[in-house]
Order: sequence, then C-alpha cells, then structure tokens
Amino acid sequence: MSSTGRSTGTSVRSMFRSPSVLIVGVVLTWFIAAFLVWPNANVLIQTFFPDGSFSGRAAERLYSSQRAMKSLGNSFLLAVALSITVNVVGIFIVLVTQYFKIRGSKILFLGYATTFIYGGIVLAAGYKFIYGDKGIVTGYLLSMFPGMDPGWFSGFFAVLVVMTFATTTNHMLFVTNALKGVDFQTIEAARNMGASDWTILRRIVLPMLKPTLFAVTVLSFLTGLGALSAPQVLGGRDFQTITPMILTFTNSPSSRDLAALLAVILGLATMLMLAVMTRMEKGGTYFSVSKVSAGLQKQQISNPVANAVVHALAYLLFAVYTLPVVLIVLYSFADGAAIQTGELSPGSLTLDNYVRVLTQPSGLRPFLISITYSALAAAIVVGGLLFVARLLQKYRNWVTSLVEYLLHIPWILPSALLALGLILSYDHPNPLVGGAVLTGTTVILLVAFVTVKIPFTLRMLKASFASVNSSLEEAAGIMGAKTLYIFRRILLPIVLPSAAAVTALNFNSMLDDYDTAIFLAHPLFQPLGLVIKANTDGAEGVEGVSNTFVYTVLLMIITGVTMYLVYGRSGRKTGRTAKAAAGGKDSTTAAGPDAVPVTPARVP
Amino acid sequence: MIRFENITVTFGDFTAIPGLNLEVKPGEFFTLLGPSGCGKTTALRTLAGFIEPSAGEVYVDGKAVTRLPSDKRQVGMVFQNYALFPSMSVAENIAFGLRVRKEKSAESDRLVRDIAKRVDLSDDQLRKNVAELSGGQQQRVAVARALVLQPKILLLDEPLSNLDAKLRHQLRQQLKDLQSEFGITTVYVTHDQDEALAMSDRVAVFNKGVVEQVGTPQSIYDESATEFVCNFIGDSSRLTASFVAELNRLSNHSLDPAANSYLRVEKASLEPSGGNGSAVPVDGTVVSKTYHGLHSRYVVRCHGSEVRLLVKEDGAVHPETGSQATVYVQPSHVLQYDPETGRTLRSRLPEAARP
Repeated sequence: MSSTGRSTGTSVRSMFRSPSVLIVGVVLTWFIAAFLVWPNANVLIQTFFPDGSFSGRAAERLYSSQRAMKSLGNSFLLAVALSITVNVVGIFIVLVTQYFKIRGSKILFLGYATTFIYGGIVLAAGYKFIYGDKGIVTGYLLSMFPGMDPGWFSGFFAVLVVMTFATTTNHMLFVTNALKGVDFQTIEAARNMGASDWTILRRIVLPMLKPTLFAVTVLSFLTGLGALSAPQVLGGRDFQTITPMILTFTNSPSSRDLAALLAVILGLATMLMLAVMTRMEKGGTYFSVSKVSAGLQKQQISNPVANAVVHALAYLLFAVYTLPVVLIVLYSFADGAAIQTGELSPGSLTLDNYVRVLTQPSGLRPFLISITYSALAAAIVVGGLLFVARLLQKYRNWVTSLVEYLLHIPWILPSALLALGLILSYDHPNPLVGGAVLTGTTVILLVAFVTVKIPFTLRMLKASFASVNSSLEEAAGIMGAKTLYIFRRILLPIVLPSAAAVTALNFNSMLDDYDTAIFLAHPLFQPLGLVIKANTDGAEGVEGVSNTFVYTVLLMIITGVTMYLVYGRSGRKTGRTAKAAAGGKDSTTAAGPDAVPVTPARVP
Repeated sequence: MIRFENITVTFGDFTAIPGLNLEVKPGEFFTLLGPSGCGKTTALRTLAGFIEPSAGEVYVDGKAVTRLPSDKRQVGMVFQNYALFPSMSVAENIAFGLRVRKEKSAESDRLVRDIAKRVDLSDDQLRKNVAELSGGQQQRVAVARALVLQPKILLLDEPLSNLDAKLRHQLRQQLKDLQSEFGITTVYVTHDQDEALAMSDRVAVFNKGVVEQVGTPQSIYDESATEFVCNFIGDSSRLTASFVAELNRLSNHSLDPAANSYLRVEKASLEPSGGNGSAVPVDGTVVSKTYHGLHSRYVVRCHGSEVRLLVKEDGAVHPETGSQATVYVQPSHVLQYDPETGRTLRSRLPEAARP
C-alpha cells in the first residue's frame, strides 16, 4: 500500500512499469477482445445490423414464427415453475437433513446428494432410460397397467421433474450453509417466549435464509430459462424451450438471425435477473448480529403426526433421488436382453459393458475426447488466471476494474449466446485470430470451455490471493525478494491447494458438458455429452443405452473421487494448518487460501 | 539515527500524518504509542518503505532513504501477525533473506543456528513447520528472521497484540532483553500503554497523526504535556472547578479553576499519610467500592467531582459505599490543561518533552 502522494502502488502508470504486467496485459487484452467482447458484439450486429444499417427483420421473423414464440413462452413457464418446485423440494430436503431431527438423516443426505455426482445430460439421459417410453420403470408399469401411456414421462411435466431434482443441489450447497449460520440462541429465545415449531421455522429461521433463498430462486429461474438438454431429451415435440430453438436455428444458416435474437433475449433476461438479485442482496441484515452466536441444534418435531408425515415424505424423496442411480449402476452390468426387457436377474449381470467401453475405440473415444478437452481447458484457465487474479488483486485502478468486469461476461451471458457468438465470429478468416477460421475446428470448443470457466475460476483464485495476509509479501520484500520470487516462493504454495481444487471442479463440470459442445464440437471429435444425447435418441440401440449406463457410472466415480478430494479432505484439515496458511489472518474470512470452492448445480 | 522530517502521508482525501518531525537515537528502544487509527503504524510503515510519503524525508544515519525500496533500507521488521511463511519450515523462514541474498548454504546454516540459539529456538524447533509452534515461539522466529540479516534498525509492529495477557507480559521482557543484547535501534508500535511504559527508553504519543508528546515513560506519565496524553496514559479523575476552588481555599495554591483539571488515581488517598503528607483534606461521600484483591477501588464524590482512588487491602477497616470519607490531595499533583489548546498549564515541563 502506499499513499496518494507522488506515486501510488495501484496507479495505472506504476502498474505498467512492471514488464510482467505488460506481457500479461497484452495477452489478456487480446483474449478479452477476441473471445469475450467481439463474439457477443458480433451477435448483436448480425441481429440488428445485418446489412450495416438497423433492421428489425429478425424481430419480425421471430414474432411470426409460432415455434419460436412458443419456445419463449415455454422457457418462461419452465423458469417460473422451476423456481417454485425447486424451492419446495430444496427447502424440504435441507430442513430434514439439517434442521429437524429425522431418523437416518445422514443416509437421507447421501441420497439427496446424488445429484452432486451426476447432472446435466447424464441425469436427463438416466431419467429417460428409467422412466421414458422404453424405460425400465415404464416397462414394469406397463406390465401392471397395460392401458397406460408409455410416453407418460415426457413434455413439461418430465422436464420440470428432472430439472427440479437436479437443481436442488444449489439448496444443498447454499441454503444448508446459510442455515448453519443461524444463531441457535434466537431459536431458544423464541421458544422461551412460547413460539411453536412452525412459528419458529416460519418467523425466525426462514426469514434469516431469505437472501440465500432469493439467490437460489434466481439461479433456478435462470436455469429454467436456459435449459437445453432436459427439454431436448424429455420435452418431446410439444415442449421445446429457447436454447434448443437457438440450436435448431443456428444449424440453419438462413435462420441464424433468429438464433441470435433468441440468444440476445436470453442474455437480457439473465442480466436483468442478476441485476435484481444483486440489488436484493444489498438490502437488509438477515444474518446473526450476535457477537457470540451458538451452533444450530436439530429440532424435534413435537407433533407426532407431523413428525410421521415428514419422515414419510423424506424417505419418499430419498427413493425418488436414489432410484435412478441404483438402477443405472445395476443396469450398467446388465446384458442387452435384460436392458431391453427390463428384467434383471443375477445371471444377466456381466462386466461386458465395461470391457467394451474401456477397450473398444468406439466406446472409449468419446471418453478420451472429453477427458482431453476438460483437462486442457481446466489447466489453461487456472494456469492463466493465476497470474491474472494476482494482478487484479494487487493493482486496484480503473483498468483492472474494467478488465475484471469484462472477464465476468461469461457469467452474465448464457452459454448458448457465447457459443453462437463464437460460431458467427470465426466461421470466416478473422484477423483477431491471425486470419484463421475456428468454427468447425477442435480449437473452438476448447476456447469456449476456457471462456466459460473464467468467472468462477477468477473469483476463487482472487479470493484465495486476497486472503493471503499482505504482511507475508511485505516481509519477503523487506528481505530483498523480488516480485516474481515472492509469487513463486510465497504466494503460489499458499494458493496452490485452492487452484488444484478449482482445477478439479472445472475438469469435472466439463467432462459431461453438452450445452456448449452441441454448438461447437468438431464432427469427428464428439465429446461424451453428445454421444450420450445421441444414445437417448436410440442411435446406437441397446449398446448405446448400456454404454451410457457405463459412462454414467464412470462419471459418477470420477466426480465422487474429485468431490472427496476437494471437499472431504479439506473438511478434515486442521484449523491450525489452515490458520497458518492464511498467514495468521482471521480464519473466518470468506475464502481463505484453502477455502473450498463451491460450484452451482449442473442442470440438464 | 532515524529522523522524520516534515513527513506527510495522505490516503486519497484523508491525511493520516500531517507533517511529522521525530528523532530516534542510536540504540534506543523507541515506542510509537497511540489509539487505533492515530498514525503510528503509518509512521512505522513509512520508515519501513511500504508507504511513500507525499511530502518530507526520512533519514537513517543522516542519509535520506525516503525513495529507497524497503529492502535497501537495512531495516528488519516483525509484523503484528509475524508474517511467517506457512509453506516453509522454521529454519527456511529464518534463512529466507539469506537465500535471497544468495548467501552460501554453509554460511546461511551457521547464521541461522547462531541466531536461533540467541532467541532460544532449539534444533528440533528449527525443523518444524511454523504452524506447529506456539504464539511465543512464532514471535521468536519472526524476531530471528528479522535479526539474522543484521539490520541497522528493528521495527516491531504490535508483535504482542495477538497473545494472551500472561504470555504478553513474559515476552515483552524477552523482547526488551533481546534488544539490549543486540543493541539495535528499535522502533516499536503499540496501543498498550503498559507495554510502552515498561519497555521503552522513550515514547512518542500519537493522536490523529500528530505527536502529542515525546519523552521518557516517567515524564510522559508524570508530566503529560497535553490533555490527550493525560487521558490516554494512566487512570485519572476529572476535577470540577468547584473541587479545584476548594483545594485553593484549603491551601495556599492558586490553581486555575477554569482549566481542565485531572488527578491520577494514585495521587489521591483516604489517609493523610502515605506520601500525601502535605495533602489537603476534601470531604466527600463514597459512591462505590469494588474489591480487586490487593486493593479496593473507590469512587468518592467531592464538590461535584467523582474522585477515583485505590486503597490497599491490608485488613484495616475502610469506609463503605454511602458513608462519608475524606480524600487527601496534594494540589501540586493536579494536572491542568488549557481548555482551548489542551496544552499543559505547567511551565516546568522540560523543553525536550514538548511536542
């Protein structure tokens, strides 16, 4: 830190005195211009200025397109409905695992947490294979009720159900955390004044969760609005939403202006919701104001009938959450006949599916492609942003603020818009990338993966650097260490655990990506998400289904192991070590160097 | 040795230090004392080279160092939280500066062992990770790391503030002993007046970026130059004009009743003896009495003043709350300050002690 006298450590001029800042600055400016600003600006230009002058033709075409207008309506319907259902289910599962005394709540938690280890297209495909028209459960039901509609699990209802259960992950992460911050003394005080269980929950506990509930509601709304794989897999002909429409229109060169306009509408809605969320977050104090708050203790539901009903509902939901996982694991070992008939016997269990996926090129290839993309993107984004995050944290001036805002573009814009922007901007030789054409190459998906992961990675790494006590750097500086030496010897070892955790989480989230890959993947290098989606369409028959089961199990194992390494191990880290890593700084800071990063739900 | 000459430090529109002039003598244990936000740490960090002043010069050994980077000023620093590098062992922490200087490994090892011995760190502790040490041991590592580079000046930024009271008492003596042993000029920052009085050769009391008084601990305490210093150091009772007038009436003193007047707790007594031989008796009523083991703390209301005083608990019978009591005060012990300027009305304050 320095005073604002003759020179300041954070002034733009002093910042650019450093050669390393200059180099990073040049690379960063190019990256932001080429992959964050230009593609999105290009979408706007192609939508409203297709021939160089303003045109409302895209809007007219959109208005006259029944499919497009219906998809818009469906998206908003799904967003609103999802905001309600996710809160109902999400709050319930948080309360039964964290707030009420429920028998077997740890088991329940594990069941509800299954969506942590499988989400996105995998989850949508899993539900289709279980409940779809040729699904295993549907088969059972048809044998019992031959007159029932085999396509019962499709359309709005199916999409809403699948997305509801996938999105409660946000509640398990954020609402659980907020609930743990409720001061137990406030509950005791209310009880002491004669408040009932219900009154305490309604008047004391839930209001304290308001900001978090609002945030997850907005996230759920945005998730519903931008849904892609669930409507594609389960929506059927009658229930298609904006993003699948964007995809359809993108694939038709004459309708790309419609795709662009839909993407712009999606982007505007996202920005509007995020702005509302930010504004709401700023108002009011909901957290504990106590200086010595007490930890939450689980509450016994005093009414025996209510207690029984809550127990029954909790276990019913447990079954809903776990049944797909159990069936997927079981059927991943089943032979083709068992999958087709839905009749599973010990004799039909085999390792053949795993052998085929792991040894035959056709089975293994998508897996390897996804692993390569994910690993490369995760390494590039974390490796690059380690320097950027450090510079943004160290120098605070209008240039770094602007850069930081620009790097958050992928956070405020839907991935469909980003992907469309990349397609439109790089389907012809572009001087921003040395005159190369990127659309249709393997590079463009890598660029998109890196871009999409920037906001989360930057926030986590910056928080990690910020939580390192500045005295460490000063202490090294006073002993003669230079900037790069301090970065390498002092800062890097401290933030490395966080960087590794972020890398692992990024890797995980891209492994089964569908939403970005469907727009940008090279036709010959199809990642896992696309292959799984193709299998849900019946492209590869029974083999495709069994392959998908195996992929799902393997993905669950990889995600589970990553989750354990990131969350399980850090949870057991001793306070003493964590405190030392923060340079003795108060360990209650929001994101210490070893703070566990939290990623939102992966939704289909 | 160290000289701050018209140092001004600003942060945006806020002036943290508006023109500091201060001198620290060679080998001195000099303390910057004051409440939070008074500018003492800013002054220390300006000396360290972490803050560049907007005006003025800092001199070390007669040489201007204001524009020198911190590592060129030959200062060692112990930070409030010690700033030990968590990814390194104790030995690596101490050797860090030597390594940066590219000192040969054997020589570096020798210097580390030597300094470790002097600050009472064992070989076993040298091998440990810093997180495995107690607060006191971590402090010794921080001191060793600063001293191993043989700086001209040692800067200590509230190094005891993170420790519990017992350890703080123990370590402040160790710090003082180490400073004496090394004979190094030391600038110490604290908000704890006990620490400042117990450890320092001289103290500068800061208030809102301005030095209110510089002097030995005794002169600061007994001859507080300003009303702020009088209030900040020690425990005093504010005396009303009526009380001061009563003192004048009962003695041949001519204290100014219109001045802001204070009396240190130990300068008032419930007995005429006990160092208050020529004391004036002022009648009052005991407002409260609290027992503290070795002594009891009294508040006696006399002539509108609530006079606080300590009474040794020696088994004798003392007045209880609500009873009448006589407070003995020597008028010459009354500290008086100009209500306008806050400066002392005593003219016998030594020139050197005046800010």
